[in-house]
Amino acid sequence: MSIYKHEYRAYAGRLTSPWARLGVIVRYALAEAWSSRVTAVLLTLSMLPVIVYLVGIYLANNPMIRMLIMRGKSMIEIDPAYFLKVLQTQCWLALVMTAWIAPRLVSFEIADNALPILLSHPISRFSYVLGKFTALFACLSLVTWVPCLLLFAYQGYASPRPWIFANLHIAGGLLAGSVLWIALLSLLGLALSSWLKWRVVATGAIFAVMFIPAGVGGIITGVLRTKWGFLLNMPVMMSQLWQQLLDVPQTMRADRQLPGASILTVLLLMCGICVLMLNARIRAREVVRG
Amino acid sequence: MSDIEFEGLHVRLGGRTVLNGLTGELRGKAIGLLGPNGAGKSTLINTLLGFHVPSQGSARVFGLDTQRDRARIRQGVGYMPENDSFIGNMTGVRFVRYMAELAGLPAAEALERAHEALFYVGLGEVRYRKVNTYSLGMKQLIKLAQALAHGPRLLILDEPTNGLDPLARQRMIQTLQAIRKEGSIQLLISSHLLRDIDQTCDEVLILKDGRIAALCDIEQERRSQRNFIELEAAGPTEAFCETLRSLGCECASFAGGRIKLVVPDRIGSRDLYVVASQTGMQIRRMQRRRDSLEDIFMRAMEAEPARGELVHL
Repeated sequence: MSIYKHEYRAYAGRLTSPWARLGVIVRYALAEAWSSRVTAVLLTLSMLPVIVYLVGIYLANNPMIRMLIMRGKSMIEIDPAYFLKVLQTQCWLALVMTAWIAPRLVSFEIADNALPILLSHPISRFSYVLGKFTALFACLSLVTWVPCLLLFAYQGYASPRPWIFANLHIAGGLLAGSVLWIALLSLLGLALSSWLKWRVVATGAIFAVMFIPAGVGGIITGVLRTKWGFLLNMPVMMSQLWQQLLDVPQTMRADRQLPGASILTVLLLMCGICVLMLNARIRAREVVRG
Repeated sequence: MSDIEFEGLHVRLGGRTVLNGLTGELRGKAIGLLGPNGAGKSTLINTLLGFHVPSQGSARVFGLDTQRDRARIRQGVGYMPENDSFIGNMTGVRFVRYMAELAGLPAAEALERAHEALFYVGLGEVRYRKVNTYSLGMKQLIKLAQALAHGPRLLILDEPTNGLDPLARQRMIQTLQAIRKEGSIQLLISSHLLRDIDQTCDEVLILKDGRIAALCDIEQERRSQRNFIELEAAGPTEAFCETLRSLGCECASFAGGRIKLVVPDRIGSRDLYVVASQTGMQIRRMQRRRDSLEDIFMRAMEAEPARGELVHL
């Protein structure tokens, strides 16, 4: 029917599968995230350190440049510690991306009370959250494990010695460290954004949740002279986890090092709290108790 | 099989029983859902959509259980919520297309039907404007457009004329009448406004304190109700009433010559004039009226049904 014929007609065409509908949520969420120029600027800025690290790998592996500039010495050592720096830089840039993108994905819909209409369609609350999570995870992947693994692959290509197979654990560490981090950031970003209707406040809250507990953890560590206060200190905790994953010597004193299991437990606990927050908030209807 | 049915449906929310043992079937093409505030209208709608879990009993839409098969039910349902519900930073056509795609339409068909739905409800000219720039009436219409875009079998409208000015309200009513006339969609309309239900529905479900106070076919109910006639007369009204009672009418006379009659269908106006002439009474004014939805509603509100029992009007 042409649109000028103002008559209603029932739809008798084919329908998409439930998985395709999940793809619809992802697609619209990605479109929303990238509709802002700020997102593109942030992505571009996030690529600058990657270019610097890429140049570093090039300099370290090019014999001509090593001879001319470094006089045969290797000033830059491409080892797990080098990739740890790449991972740390990109992961903290991912936090900035999360603080910008996550509120755009959820806060608009929460503020406009769109959930009753969205969830009255044949999608579940789980599909809705999974779709938003996938979109955010995909955006953060662009600045974390994707460039990290590309640098790893370039190092394998540029190295005069067989390098890749001897250092596969670095790739595994980069992937695991990035995926753990961006999964946590995605859940945290969505959970906080779902509770805060104002995007600016949600952005601030994401940074606050990362850094305010770190201060509290520092106080606990200082006053009680215990290493367990670092479990509230996300930067320290993640640095220790990434060092363990990449098999890099720990920079902290032995009595301040946290066991990997306790770090993973805290991360799982944080993810669990985020899931509970999303479960409480992503509903078609609010029920007033009493 | 009727499209909507419930069997001993109880719903508890926040520690309070909101729906209390609803049993019934809704068969009409356009069903009005009436009741005072807190009667459970919106809760019933949300239960039919699978948003609330029944604490006892069950509700079925298209013969499917609202909890087990809610995805399949939602496939065939278009829902227009009572409050503002949209994505404000999207254009009208993008919003409706998004909703149609979520309902399972492929992207190209969803876009085509989004345009059609927006023209159908009268938002064709503003479909490229962002939704948060729409007026209140336009926001109501875009909620209707998104509910229609995927071609549902059942359209659930919660207070569709809420906040509309008289012109916009009339337009909404006309659109609903057109949808009803087209015939492929069953309508379930919840409203406080009896006039809206009267103009758009053929069946009415009246809720009171979470129970069914009345469930009836509006037209049939009107037909089954007797004719009410109000007279203003001069002369011996008592004799007139006595004669009419002997003919099977109900008659009550009041001060100032006012008489209220309930007459069977076989007695017409001419018969009244004949009786008046025979008893020497003058009829100075006669007003005939049938039961209005308001009468049906008021009787349902006055009656106190036993648990799980329907009031027979």
